[in-house]
Amino acid sequence: MSDTVIGVARPRIDAPDKVTGATRYAADGYVHGLLHARPVLATEPHARIRGIPKDDALAVPGVVAVLTAADLPLATTGTDRTAEPLASEEVVFAGQPVALVVAESEAAAEDGAEAVVVEYEPLEAVVDVEGAMQPGAALARVVEESDDEGGDLESIHAGVDHGQEDDPEEQLSGNVLDRVTRERGDVAAAFAASDATVEGTFRTPWVHQAYIEPQVCTAWLEPSGMLVVSTSTQGSFVTRRELERAFGLPLDRIRVIAEPLGGAFGGKFALVEPLAAGAALALGRPVRLTFTRTDDFQATNPASAQISYVKIGARKDGTLTAIEARMIVDRGSNAGWGVEGATSLLVAGPYRWEAHDLRGYGVQTNRFTFGAYRAPGAPTAAFALESLLDELAQTLGLDPIELRLKNAVVEGDIGVSGNPFPTIGAVEVLERIREHPLWDERDALPADEAVGMALGHWPGGNEPAAAVCRVDSDGTMTVVTSAADMSGVSSGFAVIAAAAFGLSPDQVRVVAADTSSGPYAGASGGSKITYTVGAAVLRAAEAARQKVLAAASQELEIAPDDLEVVDGVVRAVGAPDRSITVEELAKRTLRFGGRYEPLEGHGGSAQTSGAPSVAAHLSHARVDRETGEVTLLRHVVAQDVGRALNPALVEGQMRGGATQGIGWALFEQLEHDEDGRLLTGSFLDYAIPTAERVPEIDTLIVEVPAPDGPFGAKGIGEAPVVAAPAAIANAVARAAGKRLYALPMTPARVWKALRS
Amino acid sequence: MIPASTRYARATDLEHALSLLAEPEAKAIAGGQSLIPVMKLRIARPSLVVDISRLDLRGVTERDGELHIGPLTTWSDVIGSDELDRPALAAIPECARGIGDLQVRNLGTIGGSIAHADPASDMPAVLLALGARLRLRSPETKRELRLADALLGPFLTALGPQELLTDIVVPVPTRGSGSAYVSVEHPASGFAVVGAAAVAGPGGETVALTGVGATPFVLSGDGIAAADIFGDTFASAEYRRDLASVLTERALASARTRASEDS
Repeated sequence: MSDTVIGVARPRIDAPDKVTGATRYAADGYVHGLLHARPVLATEPHARIRGIPKDDALAVPGVVAVLTAADLPLATTGTDRTAEPLASEEVVFAGQPVALVVAESEAAAEDGAEAVVVEYEPLEAVVDVEGAMQPGAALARVVEESDDEGGDLESIHAGVDHGQEDDPEEQLSGNVLDRVTRERGDVAAAFAASDATVEGTFRTPWVHQAYIEPQVCTAWLEPSGMLVVSTSTQGSFVTRRELERAFGLPLDRIRVIAEPLGGAFGGKFALVEPLAAGAALALGRPVRLTFTRTDDFQATNPASAQISYVKIGARKDGTLTAIEARMIVDRGSNAGWGVEGATSLLVAGPYRWEAHDLRGYGVQTNRFTFGAYRAPGAPTAAFALESLLDELAQTLGLDPIELRLKNAVVEGDIGVSGNPFPTIGAVEVLERIREHPLWDERDALPADEAVGMALGHWPGGNEPAAAVCRVDSDGTMTVVTSAADMSGVSSGFAVIAAAAFGLSPDQVRVVAADTSSGPYAGASGGSKITYTVGAAVLRAAEAARQKVLAAASQELEIAPDDLEVVDGVVRAVGAPDRSITVEELAKRTLRFGGRYEPLEGHGGSAQTSGAPSVAAHLSHARVDRETGEVTLLRHVVAQDVGRALNPALVEGQMRGGATQGIGWALFEQLEHDEDGRLLTGSFLDYAIPTAERVPEIDTLIVEVPAPDGPFGAKGIGEAPVVAAPAAIANAVARAAGKRLYALPMTPARVWKALRS
Repeated sequence: MIPASTRYARATDLEHALSLLAEPEAKAIAGGQSLIPVMKLRIARPSLVVDISRLDLRGVTERDGELHIGPLTTWSDVIGSDELDRPALAAIPECARGIGDLQVRNLGTIGGSIAHADPASDMPAVLLALGARLRLRSPETKRELRLADALLGPFLTALGPQELLTDIVVPVPTRGSGSAYVSVEHPASGFAVVGAAAVAGPGGETVALTGVGATPFVLSGDGIAAADIFGDTFASAEYRRDLASVLTERALASARTRASEDS
């Protein structure tokens, strides 16, 4: 019955609760005796801590404790946010948590936090990422060298290898924490033999994930001593591992409950949990830490700023020859991992190159802690590459879509990673947008309007996962996984289970279990959940179906192979009158003296194949040549999703990705002053694309099935953001007659470019 | 983002409000669209919040050729007002339609906006161009002053600590006049990067600007080149000056078109 279940648009199963306010988020749960924590955030971008006087805060009525790094029962050392949730000796960015004030009410905690005046010895702040790389530059961290490993937090996000050996000849400062090099062929010779080369340096700012629900965590100790953490997180098991590392507790004494997410986009990984859990362990009382929006802007882990120098070449017929790139990633204080590996791989795009020389640099500065944001390192890379491809098309007098079609990879083409591309729909999505009426209309527009296009992909990710499907005595099914539902994956699981088992999706509910009871699932990220946990759900549903067939076989006295399950009824193939409902079977099973095994299945998956998703965009923009304002009139996104399990949700992801791409292109920018203090600490200063500024977005679903995906589905969350900024930049370049090399393309920047 | 604790009292009438506002650290609150955010940022820490939202100071009426806009009139009221539905006053609802979002427009009041005196707020420019006056009350005094004299600096007005704005008086321009407001908004706050209000008609042409200086101001005869214009990281002074010139021309063109429709 998959044809009546798979591919049918239906609402998200969590939508009614969310739109009526019935969903209980991590900040909503009632906990007896709860204390509230407020953070004291560093006011200096780089300083030694000389003292943290507590007396004034402790004198505030209602304040229970002022906690510093020394007060937390940490069992490890290091400089990452798990090992050092509160700055111990050295502050490395303005906004870094330095102390926690814990009180009987949030207002009292805030009064107490205001009363903590930390004594600092300022150090030179490193805020210029290029200057920071030069030999002899001041270091962004001086007290202790870091030996942090990215570990789990890096591998969550993408299946990206780490390139070849460093280039030992390049002399760089100690702020350069990581260098990635990928080389093949003779790039210089390939450029020399090219008919055209274009190059440019592209700048992109720090960008915040801007989820609706700020970071929040509640932690308490059970009488048994078990630490329970109820939190807004993308991954319960990874959070448990981080808490184990922080506090040295045995795993069986930590229970992490991933509550419904109010948005995350890559930003919710073990930032607030070590703080709340540390306070609960230190005080022996329940503690909740709810970030305000200003805390969230200052103290979390946005996407890094990046400087991308890229040069590409082609022959007259449009065949791409070589690509050279130098991608500088500002990691801020994150010594554990960065996106220099991913962005220096993704800058090659889904294209064939004869030679490449790609370098990535991860550089520490005194700005934020770098973190993941939807397709980490990809929108910045695509902005550079796809801008240059348009320049190249113009130089060679070629159509931009034809240029890309001529070079787009197909299955088996070797990528710059050295590995062959799996099934990928790059050609298909390009052909699809070429057919859109907007592309035909592009030459008939007024002079101040234009249509731009761009292509981008995301490699996807893999991690073993398991799921349970349980038929209850009313004949409905419960699917149990430990995946955090960040993007509607639970609704996808319902459809997968229903189709695989033989039920209507409205007879399936999906629950997220916690780390003490659930089957294993990796964190939601890297566009991997539907592809991996979804595959486990499929197998679990099939296993449950086998149990049902075995029981029905006995009841009906028909061999299991001659039975089918259709819409909750088990019947003989070809003789539908000989049947029994799943509900009746369940009732006969789940009772005292029942004769059949419970109608439950367990399934697992360990995907090894990749399932990249690719999306092409068209963007129609108008540029006001007097004011520099850019207005988007229409946007089109065509994406290869493998198979659209629920087209309504797929289109939602495509629109959401395109919209966040509009944010990159036109609005979003975390700004510091020259000393490294944040200027954009609220939504009064930090602009995101609001409904009135987002145009109609056409969604074109392209289905090139993934051989190992559940019903052919791929992970689709990240691909639609990747090339949206580039498509808009290409539209603006045509409409303004000038190309912008920095995002966001604010009115002032466009105005300046128009006058250059 | 968590306000300091404060007391709250609801005023039942104007005299009650004035008596409550006699407390030195008291602040009046109407729609709360300006005061609540600054309280959450702890920039404002009133000891007492006096809720004046139930006072009878809401609505738009015309008497003797002058328009009286009650300070508790919300942006949504302004947009829906029949009295303002004419070319000479079109800038007022036009400006209000661009303020905030629907929830903000349903709660935010014109008097609150004037009293808050954000240097980039939109409506003061329109009211300046129209030559508006403010009527103020304190427990002992009544006075009237020109809006142009009331705006002293960023978030700073000539209102005394115990004075309450009770009426905004706008002279209705002579027949054959039109007004308009245009702006380039900051994409986050929605406040004007530059806003220009223009009135055009038999009585001459007046332009007022907002977003470019310490307060909104009426453009003098010397023009934009002589104006003191500031810059920030989002928009340099040079860009703002050019925008002010472009938007002044656009506002005047729109006002002139409307004037020709006011027969």
